[in-house]
Amino acid sequence: MSSQLTGRPADLAVAHWRAVAAATGPADRATAEQAVRDAYRAAGLAEPVEFRWHPSPRAAVAELLERRAEFGASVRERVRTAAWERARAGALAAHGPAGWAALWATTGAELAATTGLPAERVRTALLDHFAPEPEPITDWQEARKPENKAVRALAAEQRGRVRLLLLDAVAGQHDAAWLAAFDTAGTGDAALAALAAAARQTGWWWPYERTVLLSERPAALHRDEAGRLDRADGPALAYADGFALYAWRGMPVPADFPARLTGLTPERIRAEDNAELRRVMLEHFGYDRYLAESGAEPLHRDETGVLWRIQLPDDEPVVMVEVVNSTPEPDGTHRTYYLRVPPGTRTARAGVAWTFGVEESAYRPQRET
Amino acid sequence: MYRQGDVLIVPVEPSAVPASAATMARQPRDGRGRLVLALGEVTGHAHAVLGPGELVREGGPFSFAWLHLPEGGKVVHEEHATIALPAGWFRVVRQREYAPGAVRMVAD
Repeated sequence: MSSQLTGRPADLAVAHWRAVAAATGPADRATAEQAVRDAYRAAGLAEPVEFRWHPSPRAAVAELLERRAEFGASVRERVRTAAWERARAGALAAHGPAGWAALWATTGAELAATTGLPAERVRTALLDHFAPEPEPITDWQEARKPENKAVRALAAEQRGRVRLLLLDAVAGQHDAAWLAAFDTAGTGDAALAALAAAARQTGWWWPYERTVLLSERPAALHRDEAGRLDRADGPALAYADGFALYAWRGMPVPADFPARLTGLTPERIRAEDNAELRRVMLEHFGYDRYLAESGAEPLHRDETGVLWRIQLPDDEPVVMVEVVNSTPEPDGTHRTYYLRVPPGTRTARAGVAWTFGVEESAYRPQRET
Repeated sequence: MYRQGDVLIVPVEPSAVPASAATMARQPRDGRGRLVLALGEVTGHAHAVLGPGELVREGGPFSFAWLHLPEGGKVVHEEHATIALPAGWFRVVRQREYAPGAVRMVAD
């Protein structure tokens, strides 16, 4: 086996698995299938008879909902969980509880948020697609009618079914955080190495006795500098068959939201009922434009910047500090940016100090770049 | 107190550093031998320290960290001017932003 996890230094493991987690595009299917065969063999199982590739986890779940019984029992526990348990127990024995916690802090913890949150978003989107929650009924008499109770019971049952299918999945590239930790712990475990090799190629995959369903990775992935799903003019995560997630700085937004961001006006922003979406609209429109067009008044000005307030109907006001970037852009200009601060903020310095969690009186940088 | 983009570096007395920092895991240096204070996921640009020293993180990549520079050092970033730091201990804070019901990290 060429890809044993044999104790790569933490920085190299994190860099490698960070790239795996963010990888897009079609798998090398032969490599992925060989890795899965290796994982079955290492788990003491017969090799799967059949590999079924899908363009997205949604397509895989659609097939599972129809044909799950033909694929045999789930072997996820033996193929994946047993290998993880061995690796964790081995790492604990070798490093001790404190050592393992320290190892996790410098490996898996670095990747947990940026891999865990997209995976959670995919899971939620699949649940909502295949088993949407029925519209809530506010009238309690209406809600108690047998036909409405039956609709809710049916939806709950279907959600349970989809959840169980999602539990059968191995997260592929989204297991990067754990694999980075095991990579550094250096288990030398053949089963784990096989799982790692599969994760380098695929998205989620479903191991059953005779059949393995594999999902390709996304065709497109857009993130911000903090690693959150983020795109204003299209899906932030998109698979080849059209399964897509929309998000702005990690916050889920509806699929038609990018279209609603074109031709924005201050009036349309004020008319948006959903406070979170209105915030995104404001950010997209640009606080500076909004301030200019809505005639907002500065609350306070000092050497750290300017404090602004925008009143919103039936909502807390948006209070922001306008800060000038200290380092000039390549063209010599200084970029201005806006950071939202708690509505009770009274001075620009207090606002900037809050963004760093320090007291207003203590915020005195000697040097800023 | 020094600020480079969305990172604030606050000098602290050694006595202000919690005793637990002595036993916590040291952040590994990156491939270029630097201590990375904050990494941009997309550009790969980093606020990073050159020079001997240690970095200890309180939690995940967005929590604050303790930086020890026995001989001083400098903080570099692809888009910001370099800042020279004196010898000593520092608390490293990532900038955050208020959102109703939540707090978001800033990423520049």
